[in-house]
Amino acid sequence: MKENSDSGSEFERLATPLFDSLYNFARWLSGDEAEADDLVQEAFTKALRGFASFTPGTDFRAWIFRILRNTFLTSRTGLRAKLTDSLDEDEGEIIAVTWETPESLAVAAATRDALQAALERLPAPYREVILLCDVEEMKYKEIAEVLLIPIGTVMSRVARGRKLLRQSLAGERPGWSASAGKMDE
Amino acid sequence: MMNCTEWQHRIDAYVDAELPPSDLHAFRAHVETCPACAAMTLSVTESKAAIRRAGHRYTASPELRAQVFAAMKRERSEQHQPLPARRERPMSRQEWWRPTSTAWPRWGIAIAALLLVVVGLFLVTRRQQSTALAELVDLHVADLASANPVEVVSTDRHTVKPWFQGKVPFTFDLPEVQGSPFSLLGGRVTYFHQEPGAQLLFRYQRHLISVFIFRQTAELSLPASFSDQSSSFRVRTWIQGGGLRYVVVGDAAPAIIQQLSDLLHVAQ
Repeated sequence: MKENSDSGSEFERLATPLFDSLYNFARWLSGDEAEADDLVQEAFTKALRGFASFTPGTDFRAWIFRILRNTFLTSRTGLRAKLTDSLDEDEGEIIAVTWETPESLAVAAATRDALQAALERLPAPYREVILLCDVEEMKYKEIAEVLLIPIGTVMSRVARGRKLLRQSLAGERPGWSASAGKMDE
Repeated sequence: MMNCTEWQHRIDAYVDAELPPSDLHAFRAHVETCPACAAMTLSVTESKAAIRRAGHRYTASPELRAQVFAAMKRERSEQHQPLPARRERPMSRQEWWRPTSTAWPRWGIAIAALLLVVVGLFLVTRRQQSTALAELVDLHVADLASANPVEVVSTDRHTVKPWFQGKVPFTFDLPEVQGSPFSLLGGRVTYFHQEPGAQLLFRYQRHLISVFIFRQTAELSLPASFSDQSSSFRVRTWIQGGGLRYVVVGDAAPAIIQQLSDLLHVAQ
């Protein structure tokens, strides 16, 4: 019993500082306030109950983000997103990202609103990688653990996701459609 | 010797502090001598900062925070409960259910937790349902307030029904209102949660009553059959005819709303 209560307080110590980040990520994933509320509650409950399976000393943040994301993927919205967001990419291969001068300044010059709208338009697999990398400032290795994908795939999605954001904000007609979540370079 | 294109493929990794040490010095050396690559590196660095600021967008409500942390505490205190002391003899049939002084807190917590879940689910469903109902009442009121409450003006159901063909993704039957106290004024296409539906306007004396017909979707979260008389509008809803959701909204007396609903039922 003592062990249990200790693990409970340990869980609380680790999870409390991540509450805001997890909520923010849940909202971006689901795009809906009520659903994000449910996701966070469910993820915290699952994580606390499954805390015994967490290996002390390993990355707790990656572990609990993975639980949240898996909870989302099995939700109604998540299942629907899965069906529409298939990527035609060579997993693991680092895709050559070409640079064009006008678009290189587009992101930094964009307003906060425009940037948020562009992030919303981004196909989900790129959006989640960009959020974890730039907003949560996770290392590629950590992102790979959250998403259960190889590091090489994380790298190519970071590069392509940023490229798509630049194109989207530079007002170009990029060779991808947000609805199909597909792109061709 | 790497060319600019090859260095540019490493800019993202460099900005994310993920460039292997073996590449790091060479990358910096290149950027110091190449204005184009330096500009791009700066731009990605600034973009990353801008995305970080824009990405911190949502804050949890204090209610959610309180709920999550209360649930965490509850779960912990549940784990705190000492195990019931080992009993000297097996419990008899008569007393197996009787909570003992050490065991009852677990029972209590389990029941309380179950109640919380049930009440929570009930409240969430109620909230969704009353939101959907309120939106439909709003549609009815907005329609009455508009200059053209109906798009097809006809008292003839044989005119109104075909008018909807191709405009809504389903067909439905209209009742014969002759001989009833109701008269059909017409209809229009309406939208609820991006779903096109039919809105029919009936008159009963000086009351106008809307009948909404939609395909039943998950978003249309209403109980299978229901009547609400809490507001000044009466609402009756049910599902019929292979997944069509009917919602009758009006300010007439409940019996009148019921009577029109019955007519629509018979039409099927």
